[in-house]
Amino acid sequence: MTTLPASSAAPSGVPSGVPVLETAELVLRGYRETDFEPFAAFSASPRASFVGGPQSRWDAWRAFLAAIGHWSLRGYGMWIAEHRATGQVAGRIGVMFNDGWHEPELAWHIYDGFEGRGLAYQAALAARDHAAQHWGMVRPMSYISPDNVRSVRLAKRLGCALEREVAVLGRPCQLWRHPTGGED
Amino acid sequence: MSISAASIPVIETRRLVLRGPEPQDYPDFKATFASYRSRFMGGPLNAYETWMLYAAEIGHWAIRGYGMWMIHERDTQETCGMAGGWFPAKWPEREIAWIIWPEKTGKGYALEATHAVRKYLYEKLGWDGAVSYIDPKNLDSIRLAERLGAAKDPNAANIDGNDAVYRHPSPERLKSGQIRDGIELEISHYCDPLFKPKGFPVD
Repeated sequence: MTTLPASSAAPSGVPSGVPVLETAELVLRGYRETDFEPFAAFSASPRASFVGGPQSRWDAWRAFLAAIGHWSLRGYGMWIAEHRATGQVAGRIGVMFNDGWHEPELAWHIYDGFEGRGLAYQAALAARDHAAQHWGMVRPMSYISPDNVRSVRLAKRLGCALEREVAVLGRPCQLWRHPTGGED
Repeated sequence: MSISAASIPVIETRRLVLRGPEPQDYPDFKATFASYRSRFMGGPLNAYETWMLYAAEIGHWAIRGYGMWMIHERDTQETCGMAGGWFPAKWPEREIAWIIWPEKTGKGYALEATHAVRKYLYEKLGWDGAVSYIDPKNLDSIRLAERLGAAKDPNAANIDGNDAVYRHPSPERLKSGQIRDGIELEISHYCDPLFKPKGFPVD
């Protein structure tokens, strides 16, 4: 078996340069193969229904690899949000700009068991600041399904304002606009 | 930040240069995966699905340490397809896969590229064998697998019951001469055809 860890040894076009961000309780970092199981568990769960899921394991695998490849294609992407105290994957946060998106999106996925603790809020602030300072993304947007009450609440807490109704992948969706990053 | 395909190894053959998939190659990939040509590779795909698959091609390199190379014509630098190693989670075995853009077929590129990547996977990465999962209706790919010395393995586990498993010759068998010599002779005939048409007859 020639599987190599994603971090150091891979002789490839790999996102070895994914920056690491620290928040009070989270480490935002690049991907490891062991992150796939929590990723797939989220993708298969009803929690993924607002982000294009639930997905089959194959679709989750493709999406997992694509999340890594996104960093190579765009130079930015979504981090794994690791819960520092437990080492578990609490979710993903970062900027996604897939084919068919209107513009780069600040997105957050919080995994089962990590909700309601303000983790998404601190991760979103860190990611938004980084995007503004390093990627020139001032006032990014977030797509939110109107039924995703918790995400709408977080967007408001982040100072976002509803800008317009759009369709993403044929589904109705709201485009929320962030305030300037770094002002919090 | 070193976030690029630059560290994927480059493979050179007589007519081709194989490099990691890069952002500027995406439109060529998208054109083929939007077309009927991709029907045996899970397509045709919409823009989002195509993007996810292309990004996944790069992510595969990160997670596995190998993946699909983008094939370029040496003379024109144009892309003409992809070939390489592919191993999604929970697949039975590691696969050698290929796809050639519809306008670049008939030149023996898939043979030349796949022969080179198989050699790389065997010799540089130590693979002790490989299979190709092929739709039984994909006669061109079955022909190519056979030209590469692969044979149908009816006892091997397949992916979803809809594909045939072609088993590639082992590194030892490939070294033994006859298979390899036959492939290289065929490639050399594509490179230097014995008979070149001098034009079409005018009536």
